[in-house]
Amino acid sequence: MSMQMRTFILGMIGVPALLALVFLTVYGEQAGAIIARILPRVPMLLTGSADFSSLEGGFVANILISLWSMAIAIVTGAMLGTGLIARSAFVRLPSSLVMNLLRNSPWLVVLFAMLYLLPFEIEIFGFTVSLSPAVKAVIGLALPVTANIAEIFRGGVQAIPSGQWESASSLGYRRLQILRHVVIPQALPLMVPNLMTMYSMLFIGTSLVVVTGANDVLSVARTIIAVDGDAVATAIYIFVLLLFFLFCFPIAILTRRLEHRVGTSHP
Amino acid sequence: MTTTSTTKPLIEMRDVRKSFGTYDVLNGIALDVREGGVVCIIGPSGSGKSTILRCINGLIPVNSGTIRVGDFAVEAMKTDRELIALRHQVAMVFQQYNLFPHRTVMQNLTMAPIQVLKENPADVRERALKLLAKVRLTGKEDAYPSQLSGGQQQRVAIARALAMQPRVILFDEVTAALDPEMVSEVLNVIRDLAGEGMTCVLVTHEMRFAQEVADEVFFTDRGVIVERGPPKQLFQSPNDPRLKDFLDKVL
Repeated sequence: MSMQMRTFILGMIGVPALLALVFLTVYGEQAGAIIARILPRVPMLLTGSADFSSLEGGFVANILISLWSMAIAIVTGAMLGTGLIARSAFVRLPSSLVMNLLRNSPWLVVLFAMLYLLPFEIEIFGFTVSLSPAVKAVIGLALPVTANIAEIFRGGVQAIPSGQWESASSLGYRRLQILRHVVIPQALPLMVPNLMTMYSMLFIGTSLVVVTGANDVLSVARTIIAVDGDAVATAIYIFVLLLFFLFCFPIAILTRRLEHRVGTSHP
Repeated sequence: MTTTSTTKPLIEMRDVRKSFGTYDVLNGIALDVREGGVVCIIGPSGSGKSTILRCINGLIPVNSGTIRVGDFAVEAMKTDRELIALRHQVAMVFQQYNLFPHRTVMQNLTMAPIQVLKENPADVRERALKLLAKVRLTGKEDAYPSQLSGGQQQRVAIARALAMQPRVILFDEVTAALDPEMVSEVLNVIRDLAGEGMTCVLVTHEMRFAQEVADEVFFTDRGVIVERGPPKQLFQSPNDPRLKDFLDKVL
């Protein structure tokens, strides 16, 4: 059994067991009764609906928001990253400014800023697009992630030996062609583990979107606690922690596996 | 300086100067290569040999002086289109091969003619197969560079340069990174090319090979051409004390 497989199995058993221990310590003899009370709330926490009838809220919303943010940030991050390595200072310096500003901004502050900066709806080519809290959350999270992906992109590109640039230019390739045909295909495998780590951090960061009013798992959790009483609060939050762990931990293990593979093999 | 041929040379460098920061690499280089000529540049490391090659194909911009290749004034080139036209005519082979490791041998040969020169892919592939046969690597089309030996990779790099159908090939210490037993297989390919009339400019430490294939040898030291002449004269009766000293060390 590989090292990572052992870590994976230990983690998947150990961490839930630890959370169960905390749960039992907190609730003692009431544990059974509490479980009976929160079990019917599980569909609500997972999907935002009491009977899985829709998949728009709760933990599913966190997943959707994270995927949209990541998809947007990969595109904008690659663009900003290309700006960071541009030859022209007119492109490079503003890119670097934007990247450093966004990368050093607390995510929660950016989310609050989006809440007040972005209007309720905007008009694009005559169409009115309403900016729901979830959309604002996606944009707010995509901004700092863009800056981090730009840095990952820059690092990956600069890890490719300069001889590749030299031989490609001597074959007549232009700068952007070299990036596209020669450098990025080689840099991508180096960037994937970092991108996955970034995604994990983004996913954990989706817990912040509760401040935008999006119907995410924490919003749902707070509503349930308001209805069912403070007695269930600890149990609900332990359950939410478990959800985040079960989602992020496999990504972390997979990342470590890929890192190992990138480190040992030649393309 | 007298020219034996009436046609003007293919490559002509006049008073080329280049510095990196405060370090002067080239201090007024003059060099010419006739069409079909084989020229070797020798000299101690750090004397600017490789920089000369990189100036010829415009990889490094010069500070002053003129470089003419065919009808191109290299020192005045600005646009990408001009540089691409130049690099179509001037190919280069590097010490570290610099093959594209994520592409097969075949793709290494065909990428630039298809993507840069916009040639017909079928024609390019057909030409690439002939070139692989020429460098004695038939059957390696689908191998990746990491699966080949250093000598094989360098021969692929030569074929890749030839696939651009250049008028001149620049060789930058192409055997310096190779294990001794692989040097001759690469030199044999270059010898074939020289014999077929391909214009070649070689920076090399292989003195015996330079003596054998070159029409003319240039000895550089500290960014200037100290002595030039036919190989026999240069190697057997050197005039400049720096060249004598250098030959004593390497021969």
